[in-house]
Amino acid sequence: MAQRRNRWTGLAYMAPALAFVAVFVLWPLVHLIYISFTSESLLGGGKWVGFDNYAKAFGDKNFWRAFTFTLTYTAYLTPILMVLNLALALLTARNTPLRQLTRTVVFLPVVIGLASSSLLWYWLFDQQVGLFNKALVDLGILDQPLVWFKKANTGQLGVMISVLWKVVGFGMILMVAGIQAIGNDIIEAAKIDGASGWMQVRRIIIPLASRSILLATLISAIGSMLAFEQFYLMTGGGPRGQTFTSVYWIYQNSFVRFDLGYGAALSVILMAVITTGTALQLYLTRRGIR
Amino acid sequence: MKPATLTGLGRSLLTASVLSMMASTAFAEDLSMWVRESAADPATLMVDLWNTSHANKITLTAIPDNQVVTKLATSVRSGDAPDLVSFDLIYMPDFMKAGFLTDVTAQLAADPHYATHVQAYKDIATYEGKTYGVGFTPDVSVLVWNKDLFKRAGLDPEKGPTTIQEIVDYARKVKALGGDNYGFWFSGACPGCNIFVTSPLMVAAGSQILPKNGTDQALSGDGVKVVLEAYKTMWDEKLIPESAQTDTGANFVSAFVGGNIGIAGTGGFLISLMKREHPEFNYGMTLLPGVEAGQVSGFVGGDVVAVPANGKHEAEAREFLTWVLSDEAQLQGLAKNSILTTRTDLADNEYTKGNEPVLVTAKALAAGYVPWVFHFADMVNSDSSPWITMLQQAIFDGDVDGAITEARAAMLEIAAR
Repeated sequence: MAQRRNRWTGLAYMAPALAFVAVFVLWPLVHLIYISFTSESLLGGGKWVGFDNYAKAFGDKNFWRAFTFTLTYTAYLTPILMVLNLALALLTARNTPLRQLTRTVVFLPVVIGLASSSLLWYWLFDQQVGLFNKALVDLGILDQPLVWFKKANTGQLGVMISVLWKVVGFGMILMVAGIQAIGNDIIEAAKIDGASGWMQVRRIIIPLASRSILLATLISAIGSMLAFEQFYLMTGGGPRGQTFTSVYWIYQNSFVRFDLGYGAALSVILMAVITTGTALQLYLTRRGIR
Repeated sequence: MKPATLTGLGRSLLTASVLSMMASTAFAEDLSMWVRESAADPATLMVDLWNTSHANKITLTAIPDNQVVTKLATSVRSGDAPDLVSFDLIYMPDFMKAGFLTDVTAQLAADPHYATHVQAYKDIATYEGKTYGVGFTPDVSVLVWNKDLFKRAGLDPEKGPTTIQEIVDYARKVKALGGDNYGFWFSGACPGCNIFVTSPLMVAAGSQILPKNGTDQALSGDGVKVVLEAYKTMWDEKLIPESAQTDTGANFVSAFVGGNIGIAGTGGFLISLMKREHPEFNYGMTLLPGVEAGQVSGFVGGDVVAVPANGKHEAEAREFLTWVLSDEAQLQGLAKNSILTTRTDLADNEYTKGNEPVLVTAKALAAGYVPWVFHFADMVNSDSSPWITMLQQAIFDGDVDGAITEARAAMLEIAAR
């Protein structure tokens, strides 16, 4: 009896949080799925169309091109970001004034909005007045200023540079937290046993900080799969639609073409792919950790 | 008159004035108004002027341009729309058809000022014989040239290009100055910028750009090809900076203001910008030309103001529409601030006298066009629209005929929906 009462008391304590999740997460999700089965327009109207939107999505070569581009972008960016995160975390993990200052400086761009940083880099990459181009020319790396967003590959590279600058500090802080949680005694013992710096990193730091590394990887990969603002502002999807990301294409359909039903169906597909990918990544990584 | 009577009269006057003040306070309503962010400056001037002389004060809220459709649609559908809304006029057909706006036909028909309202605004705000708004903060596209560069290039600095071919010829001369100078500028990855400044060149040369339905004319006439080939020539001859190809509109204005561009299309908004920030810049302004001298056009842009359906203060909001067409609003709110009037009878006024650029834009407004089509965003403004795809394929890839054919088919498919 007392146990049952405790259960109700527990539920009562959880009720506000459950209500919040139900109203702000579950209901919008259910509504999104419902809309994906309709022809609802942003301007109103629409009817039940069953799986038509999904059938259309599977035949939409522009969506799949955008999806493939997003996958490529994620596949390039995530490992580079992880290596940089880890390198910076290893360099700045110990608490000395200089390292703390370095951490602060590297972390600073994280607090800038992604849209603002994208615009900033758009100007830095400018062919005529961009400082980044000028620096590359002055250093002899380029013969003449490059029009970064003229081609899809250099456009993608430009976006990646801007995103690395913007987010590298966040992953670094996560990994610093993971590294600092490793007891000094373990490191000291390894040193006494004659482990080199590299051996310490490989055999002790990376395995023991693996949960932080996993978290940083997941956040980075999901963020990349949902990339939008940086491409919207820097490449405009160009040239010729070659740098549309999945979310950008969803935006185009939902808010430019007013086709909410189709946009919702694309969103559901993307959500399913990301959820599956994340679950797989978690499963494989946990198996590796064990 | 006895003193007692005087006292009584004084009391009556005092009572009347207090009652009048109470009444105006009691019946004064605070109106809400949304404006797209890029038109917030002129809208603020107008609203501030209204607020100084009206009891019903308007609170203006700027909405990011790309969120106006979403916010208005959801607010109207949820019954929480603002009392007034100012938005890009090209959305008018879609909004009227969707039932987002209040019919103001009878009100405007009874307004004597409406007779001289710029025709393009009347047209764009009319759907199935009913009118749903008025032009608010107008703009129109024009051609500008850098007089200093023209002079250095041996051209007459007081004479702008009068044909498309002259644009190419003058651009060549400016480019021949060498250094970092270029003859022409356009934002090659900005669909909206190009419908504003490139399509009028085609229209002036006799073309129709956008179809009203699936069986209408799309990209018809020789003007489209002539303009695309002229742009392609200038691109091939490097008369245009390489960065134009990827410009999504960020340099639409700043490229010309930079001082190394000979000719560019722009909008009337440039006048107040130059006056405010670059008063020393020596530039000329003319109408966007066609193939032959005398052919001119312009894209009539800017914002319309309307009363959303389900607004809470419809009667008060309607008063604002009437006021927008009044002499006070037109002259003190628009003309005084170097903004075009939306009434043709006031185009030539005390503030435009001797102000050549403003007079040019007034002519452009009268000669200009605005396409009345549904799905404008899909056909033009989308980053993957047939319009921008055609420009890029023709100018940068060189396939002019193929680009026109493909874009025409895509536009007709969209228009047929």
